[in-house]
Amino acid sequence: MHIPDGFISPQTYLPAYALAAGLWAFAARRVKRDLDAETLPFLAAYTALSFVLMMVALPLPGGTTAHAAGIGLLAVGFGGWMSFLAISLVLAMQALLFGDGGITALPINAVAMGFVGSFSALAAWKLFGRFNESIALFLAGWFSIALPALLVALILGVQPLLAHDAQGAPLFFPFGLAVTLPAVLLPHVLIGLAEGVLTMLGYRYLTRLRARILQ
Amino acid sequence: MKRDRAWLLLYLATVIAATLIHDPRWLAVGLALVVLLAGREAGVLLRRAVLSVLAFNTLISLSYLGMAWWRDFSPWQTLLLLNLRVLLLTCLTFLFITRVNLFQALDFSRSLTYVLGLAYSQALTFSRAHDDFRYALASRSLQRPGLLDRYRASAAAVSWFIEKSLHAATQSSQALRSRGFFHD
Amino acid sequence: MTELRYRVVKPAPAGAQDADPVLAMVGVEHRYGAAEVLCGIDFVVHPAEKVVLLGCNGSGKSTLLKILNGLIAPTSGRFLYQGEEITPARLKIPALHRRFRSEVALLFQNPDAMLFNPTVFDEIAFGPRQTGLADVAERVRHWADQVGVSQHLKRPPFTLSGGEKQKVCLAALLALEPKVLLLDEPTAALDPRSTGWLVDFLSGLPITTLTTTHNLSLAPELGSRALVLGEDHRLIHDGSLHALLTDMERLAAANLVHTHRHRHGDIEHRHTHVHDWQ
Repeated sequence: MHIPDGFISPQTYLPAYALAAGLWAFAARRVKRDLDAETLPFLAAYTALSFVLMMVALPLPGGTTAHAAGIGLLAVGFGGWMSFLAISLVLAMQALLFGDGGITALPINAVAMGFVGSFSALAAWKLFGRFNESIALFLAGWFSIALPALLVALILGVQPLLAHDAQGAPLFFPFGLAVTLPAVLLPHVLIGLAEGVLTMLGYRYLTRLRARILQ
Repeated sequence: MKRDRAWLLLYLATVIAATLIHDPRWLAVGLALVVLLAGREAGVLLRRAVLSVLAFNTLISLSYLGMAWWRDFSPWQTLLLLNLRVLLLTCLTFLFITRVNLFQALDFSRSLTYVLGLAYSQALTFSRAHDDFRYALASRSLQRPGLLDRYRASAAAVSWFIEKSLHAATQSSQALRSRGFFHD
Repeated sequence: MTELRYRVVKPAPAGAQDADPVLAMVGVEHRYGAAEVLCGIDFVVHPAEKVVLLGCNGSGKSTLLKILNGLIAPTSGRFLYQGEEITPARLKIPALHRRFRSEVALLFQNPDAMLFNPTVFDEIAFGPRQTGLADVAERVRHWADQVGVSQHLKRPPFTLSGGEKQKVCLAALLALEPKVLLLDEPTAALDPRSTGWLVDFLSGLPITTLTTTHNLSLAPELGSRALVLGEDHRLIHDGSLHALLTDMERLAAANLVHTHRHRHGDIEHRHTHVHDWQ
């Protein structure tokens, strides 16, 4: 879901920054309240974790791979606000230190992947956890990919409506919803399946690890 | 105001300006200025920027060309505008990254620079370790590893990173405590 | 049972020097972006030689091993295995890939990078299972026994201690009975007893080994021939380890020893030291 700079109109990214900033401020307060003095080192560690999770290979059938996102795992393992902050910091690091992914796309990705991704994963986990933990984890992973993809597809798809010149020619991302919805959503619905499996395996390990640390 | 912070603000203002201007001539002037500012590194900068947007922009441009041919309108003005803008913004960001120390630019918040600095150094360590996980599987595989093996390898890497980050967090919070970071 | 199984022999076979080289580096250079990591590397290794690759941290040792294992291609120059050029691109040829991967094994510095199977048994069996050999279980038990992890066969590898993990990795590689074993700082995470065991174990293997270390005092235990990478990423020594160990200037140039002040009573003097910070 990495969108380079130049495809998102200021009519979109400026309000997105305002929204993201509000969420960041709120998240910072929540995380501080829950974790007390240890917020900062843990936030840094989960940011680095989120960074590397995005590099891990997500095996797909037929020998191909996609990149994992790790959003479901972060949210279920460490809480939605922590996950949202860590993912936002990773996006900022990628944009401003590695030149990967744009600064104008940052608030959109932060809200889509970080906020919507984390909290949809948590919702799936809470909703289905009563019935079966594995299925709930799988769905948490799947929703953490599929819903952000839907949001990004919608935002890209409305660019031609929001920003065009007098003749109606697009000024930013040039394709409408009829193109973006299938083009962005379909592959991510499939990638979500693989992410679901990884969330399941990763969480199982995390609980074992926590049990060992507690011993 | 400090030099790096001034550059950060200038960079952000330029980014916004480049998305408010829709005349390709002005965007071209902007691109020329950025390249000029890069001086001797101009070639490297341009090459890096082109490579980093090549896949996405080629896909978008070709699709748009196809749509224009299908619906019979002229795509050139839009394509020029889009690609110029993307290239300008990407060059600008790369120039910013090579010239400005982000940690200095953000030093108005001690917490933010602390988190970013720690996360950055740990991320670099993790990314080297990630290469080793990838290489190790390649090195041990006489044939293409199957889906199950690839899942196991990815899950093992994920668990290792989780364990290391929990460990690192505990250690750095102890280090912070011993330096009295929390008490002033 | 296959006849391939190693019999432990002590000395390297006589006349090994006359045989065709098994590994050859020809004018190898490597850079990551603008940073030079290896420069003008030329050497050959003959069958059953025990070579020690010395260099300080950041001298390019790990990169050299990755080229020797066909994981990365050198920026320029060539790496030949038994006279055949090896690069990741050339290893796309299935037959060459299969032969090279079963004959040249790399022990990573971080054993965790290599371990991903649910049990130690599966870990050691991972290689042999890909060869379609019939005696996989027997091979696994043989090598688990050789390295001393037989009692752990049913445990998940990540529950083991660092030293045990390394032994499992070693068994997993040796279960394919490779002709060349590359080892990246194999003693870095080991306690003295395990280090002693590893040194003895490696010297008993009748195969070519190339071991990297920055621990000078351990080097003579790991081989008789030394390659030294300097801080300028060039090969500054290729020859007898014994001659190297008496050449303090060269060792200082490679940042393998250091000079510092000493006080004996009232007299202060400077001299060069070997320090093995592990």
